[in-house]
Amino acid sequence: MSKDGGSLDTDLIRELATLLDETGLTEIEIELEGRRFRVARSVNVTAAPVAAAPVVAPVQSDSKRSASSEDAGVHPDALTSPMVGTAYRSPEPGAAMFVEVGSTVTSGQTLLIIEAMKTMNHIPSPKSGKVTAILVEDGQPVEYGEPLIVIE
Amino acid sequence: MFDKILIANRGEIALRIERACKELGISTVAIHSTADAHAMHVRLADESVCIGPPQAKDSYLNIPAIVAASEITGADAIHPGYGFLAENARFAEILEEHRIAFIGPTAEHVRLMGDKIKAKETAKSLGIPVVPGSDGSVTDFESAKVIAEEIGYPVMVKASAGGGGRGMKLAHFDYELEAALSTARNEARAAFGDDTVYLEKYLATPRHIEVQVLADGNGNAVHLGERDCSLQRRHQKLWEEAPSPALNESERARIGEIVASAMRKLRYRGVGTVEFLYENGEFYFIEMNTRLQVEHTVTEMVTGLDLVIEQIRVASGAPLSIRQEDVRFYGHAIECRINAENPLTFRPSPGTITHFHPPGGLGVRVDSGAYAGYTIPPYYDSLIGKLIVHARNRNECLMRLKRALGEFVVDGIETTIPLFSSLIQEPDIVDGHYDIHWLEDHLAPNGQR
Repeated sequence: MSKDGGSLDTDLIRELATLLDETGLTEIEIELEGRRFRVARSVNVTAAPVAAAPVVAPVQSDSKRSASSEDAGVHPDALTSPMVGTAYRSPEPGAAMFVEVGSTVTSGQTLLIIEAMKTMNHIPSPKSGKVTAILVEDGQPVEYGEPLIVIE
Repeated sequence: MFDKILIANRGEIALRIERACKELGISTVAIHSTADAHAMHVRLADESVCIGPPQAKDSYLNIPAIVAASEITGADAIHPGYGFLAENARFAEILEEHRIAFIGPTAEHVRLMGDKIKAKETAKSLGIPVVPGSDGSVTDFESAKVIAEEIGYPVMVKASAGGGGRGMKLAHFDYELEAALSTARNEARAAFGDDTVYLEKYLATPRHIEVQVLADGNGNAVHLGERDCSLQRRHQKLWEEAPSPALNESERARIGEIVASAMRKLRYRGVGTVEFLYENGEFYFIEMNTRLQVEHTVTEMVTGLDLVIEQIRVASGAPLSIRQEDVRFYGHAIECRINAENPLTFRPSPGTITHFHPPGGLGVRVDSGAYAGYTIPPYYDSLIGKLIVHARNRNECLMRLKRALGEFVVDGIETTIPLFSSLIQEPDIVDGHYDIHWLEDHLAPNGQR
């Protein structure tokens, strides 16, 4: 965060930070009455030959967009999505979740469902162990290769 | 009009479609394989979805993944570009079932034109000239002779079960026909276990001339003139121009009207190209492409129309925005396909582009997703860009092309740019005097055929 003189407007910055989280953006910069505010969060983007390109990454207008590349670096061992679709954590709306953080799972056990073209695809656990992180929310769109769950 | 279009393609054409969407105020969704995560079409789209691993069959040809990507992003239409799923009737059908618009013709028309035999029958019934032949098998010399006189020499005797040049014999004159017929039948029997043969007019030095059409599915269609794509290597077009150096205004209007009238009868929707062989003032139907083509750009330059915008408009149900009398042809345009290939051996040259400087100036257009630092993945075709030049006439166009090729810098990989720089020095090219064999014959002495 940076500013150009004057007293610190913590409310505004807090508001921007909330907005950042809600929208999934990595950076917001605004100029108000001659003062510039920038809030940003660091992301682990895998090294890409972006430096020489004449454009910046476009701002995403749709909050549905997922950001697999950001999470991939954080959870290198996570189970990744084998397909693009919508992830569901329970067999039907209102039912109990397949797994929660802390659940013990056995190899082959269904962890979640990914819906693609109206087909429900059960995603089995590749190994037995304990769920240490769940990286998707119920009903969240996922891309191919997006990290879903960490099992240790 | 559509609110959001998913572009089911990659490379320069995905970028080309994004440009049209932006000018129409439509949001764009790029799809990509893991190999294309840093591609320009992904970076310039409003949203992007990774749909699979590098192999095209698991990503750009993966229908369930593409439909799922449309569903999660809320896209209401899909533009297939060219190649991949652009002429897949099943894909068009599936989109219909999922209530996602396919930016192209009906599945029925895609399927009809995808079947070579049905396409030829349909073309003939719509009044489009086809290669004359025997309309079925020929068994005896006497009837073969009658047919050959009718269609005119030279004639080719072809095995019905044939392929790969076997069971094909050429007769230049009537006294060669009997021998050609019996040799072809013997070869066909030996090679395919079937001695059924048929006759077809043989075209020795044809040009490849294709007519661009635009239709709205309600019986309205216009033609946008022709493109000459005779400069090919192994059926791959490398250089395309509009207008053809071989046609005059009345020939253009005649074949254009034949094609437009056929599309009206068919109630075709979208952009389409009817391809012909052209020899001695006559056109012979080869096939129809029911999609946008790589070389659509030269037509855009001489008509001033954006074909992708028009294609999206008619796909959304809008009527044609132009009538035939509104179509004006101005000047001359040439497109050169810049491939990541060795210019002599045509061996693919994937790798990282270290410097990229596209040419500029009046009448110069470069459609490309390449940039300095871009690594060309080895999984897809080698086209990295298209250089299109436009000028008031063909001579000025050639001079401008020469100038633009001289400015074009692509370092780090091999490209076809040097091939075009040498072609433009050839008197036959300067004179527009070439046919579909010219380029291969020209390359043959160096052993690259």
